[in-house]
Amino acid sequence: MQASRARLFKEYKEVQREKVADPDIQLVCDDSNIFKWTALIKGPSETPYDGGVFQLAFSVPEQYPLQPPQVRFLTKIFHPNVHFKTGEICLDILKNAWSPAWTLQSVCRAIIALMAHPEPDSPLNCDSGNLLRSGDIRGYQSMARMYTRLAAMPKKG
Amino acid sequence: MESEDDMHDANEVASVEEEDDYYSGGEEEEEDMDEEGGAEDDYDYSYDYGDEEDDDTGDYDFIANYSDDGDDVLASRSQKNYTILKEEDIQQRQEEDITKISTVLSIPREAACILLRRYNWSVNNVHEEWFADEERVRKAVGILEKPLVKTTNFKEATCLICFENYPCDSLRSAACAHLFCDACWKAYISTSINDGPGCLMLRCPDPSCGAAVGHDMINKLAPEEDKEKYRRYLLRSYVEDSRKIKWCPAPGCDSAVEYVVGSGSYDVTCSCLYSFCWNCTEEAHRPVDCETVAKWVLKNSAESENMNWILANSKPCPKCKRPIEKNQGCMHMTCTPPCKFEFCWLCLGSWSDHGERTGGFYACNRYEAAKQEGVYDEAERRREMAKNSLERYTHYYERWASNQSSRQKALADLHQMQSIHLEKLSEVQSQPESQLKFIIEAWQQIVECRRVLKWTYAYGYYLPEHEHTKKQFFEYLQGEAEAGLERLHQCAEKELMNYLNSDGPSKDFNDFRTKLAGLTSVTRNYFENLVRALENGLSDVDSQAVCNKMSSKNVAGSSKAKGGRGKGSSKTSTSVRNTDDSGNWACDQCTYVNVRSVSTCHMCHHRR
Repeated sequence: MQASRARLFKEYKEVQREKVADPDIQLVCDDSNIFKWTALIKGPSETPYDGGVFQLAFSVPEQYPLQPPQVRFLTKIFHPNVHFKTGEICLDILKNAWSPAWTLQSVCRAIIALMAHPEPDSPLNCDSGNLLRSGDIRGYQSMARMYTRLAAMPKKG
Repeated sequence: MESEDDMHDANEVASVEEEDDYYSGGEEEEEDMDEEGGAEDDYDYSYDYGDEEDDDTGDYDFIANYSDDGDDVLASRSQKNYTILKEEDIQQRQEEDITKISTVLSIPREAACILLRRYNWSVNNVHEEWFADEERVRKAVGILEKPLVKTTNFKEATCLICFENYPCDSLRSAACAHLFCDACWKAYISTSINDGPGCLMLRCPDPSCGAAVGHDMINKLAPEEDKEKYRRYLLRSYVEDSRKIKWCPAPGCDSAVEYVVGSGSYDVTCSCLYSFCWNCTEEAHRPVDCETVAKWVLKNSAESENMNWILANSKPCPKCKRPIEKNQGCMHMTCTPPCKFEFCWLCLGSWSDHGERTGGFYACNRYEAAKQEGVYDEAERRREMAKNSLERYTHYYERWASNQSSRQKALADLHQMQSIHLEKLSEVQSQPESQLKFIIEAWQQIVECRRVLKWTYAYGYYLPEHEHTKKQFFEYLQGEAEAGLERLHQCAEKELMNYLNSDGPSKDFNDFRTKLAGLTSVTRNYFENLVRALENGLSDVDSQAVCNKMSSKNVAGSSKAKGGRGKGSSKTSTSVRNTDDSGNWACDQCTYVNVRSVSTCHMCHHRR
């Protein structure tokens, strides 16, 4: 408990310093609970998520960093490896490939990388996976783009 | 190492030959009989007792020598095609293998251990792989050639887990340059050890680094309790990764059994005296095959709520068969270490078979197609039908279970006999205990027969309904076996009591000895033939179905009428040939050798 708190505090200070260095990620610690974090990540360019801002919710276990944090999308997103309803993410480093050397920041980076390179072979969102697997890149992109506009962009006007 | 291999091969051949011997009973007299029976016609289980006139002398010798031979049989059985390994033996072998690899490849013992673990403890595989491509192997298992030069120019460095700064010399790394503090190392190692046997493949915590964390690190950093766990995992992996060694499944038994693969019967007996099938690790189940046993065992537990839950909510890993519950995530499943098999949740096929070809991943087309073809519905319907025929099942199950409990009882009686009664009997009858071994052997035979009989009920349950001849013949054989066993059991239990409770040596004790020993050998023969016949799937019924249909029916019919052989046979033929020099005569019906003075068989009351 103490170790995880200390480590999270280190990460917190690191985040404060790096804020400018990585403009794509904005990690915020809950005011009253250091085990709850949220992140705003920018959709990577040259993807259908470009221009969108996606919100992630982190729930950090007491065994952190020996155990991975639980992360899910709060913003609706159309992506093969993200559950369309719950926002659950299928990513190996959040499950069995976790290493204590990862940080919340690096998890965000991994998620951005996942957005740019979907893994349709292990899909949580079958419709999205099906489009990609059947080679309908355009269909996938337009769906993803539509949901980015609907859910991840500030309303115009 | 090749020489060792050769030796191994030689051993295998030797054991296979020995195995043949075992099947035919291991005793020459019996072998003669078997050969003859086999050569003439396999259809002689029911006649074995008396049809072969030439066997008389053999049979007589057999009984006379019986107590001498008994030891050899038991001794040779345990040295057949398997070896019992105690924990120390396993550890010793493991150490030897590690030493071998460590010396031949000139690498530290920890590295040798990791290497062996990666290649399932096969010294040969390690050699092959290593000498084929050392670089690749090193990379795959994480043994770096030279410890990377550590950046120790600085006095202080940051632990990459807790991000605290420490003096360089208080940080550690595996064979790489990634430094972590002891507290983080300890937590990392402890988490991994408590996560399961995956800790044997522990790597440097840095995600980009594959450097292996060996036994030496564990020893330095883990608490005693975890070290012990790690040691046990390591020991277990030696047995569980090997394709030739399996643990004895008896509760509380720590031994393992190494089996010469491909050497015939899978039945082995551990040093704890538990007999089990090496192939499926259920208890010994000849004559029934492993598949039937698995079905039967599953069936027996299928009625329980537990099993219903597991059936409804989990699927067995297609590779290691552990039940897996899917609680979240996609259809791409990865079994937990050490199995790590990747498969599709829907069709349970290997994940590597999935791809464009099979049409997709998430709504697995193989599954859809199979479902449309009715494969899965079929399985469902079968399950339903099985539930409906519960009554039929109960019939077989009750008999299976009652033989099981009879066997337990007999086992307890055997122990009591060995520990209490034998001594008393020896005193009452003034016989040295060594002369009373025939009683123990009788009881051992009873225990074995109960086991076989038990499994014949599982066999009977799965015998196809429509094969009437087979079924009839099977039931006849089973009935005979049961009757024979009852006779033996009766003799060893009730009749023995008279001698046990008498005031002084009984005159006819020697007769009793001859009778019980004879019954034991006759029953043994009968059961061995029975086992062989059932293992052949009663194949002679197929070949002789036409010509024997009538006669087999008659046999079955008459046996029912008589209520089993032995109780008032109507056969009155006499055979003068069935006598030997001393005038003792072998019963026509059951082959039992009677003393000259009696005119009805001591065993089956058949008249001479």
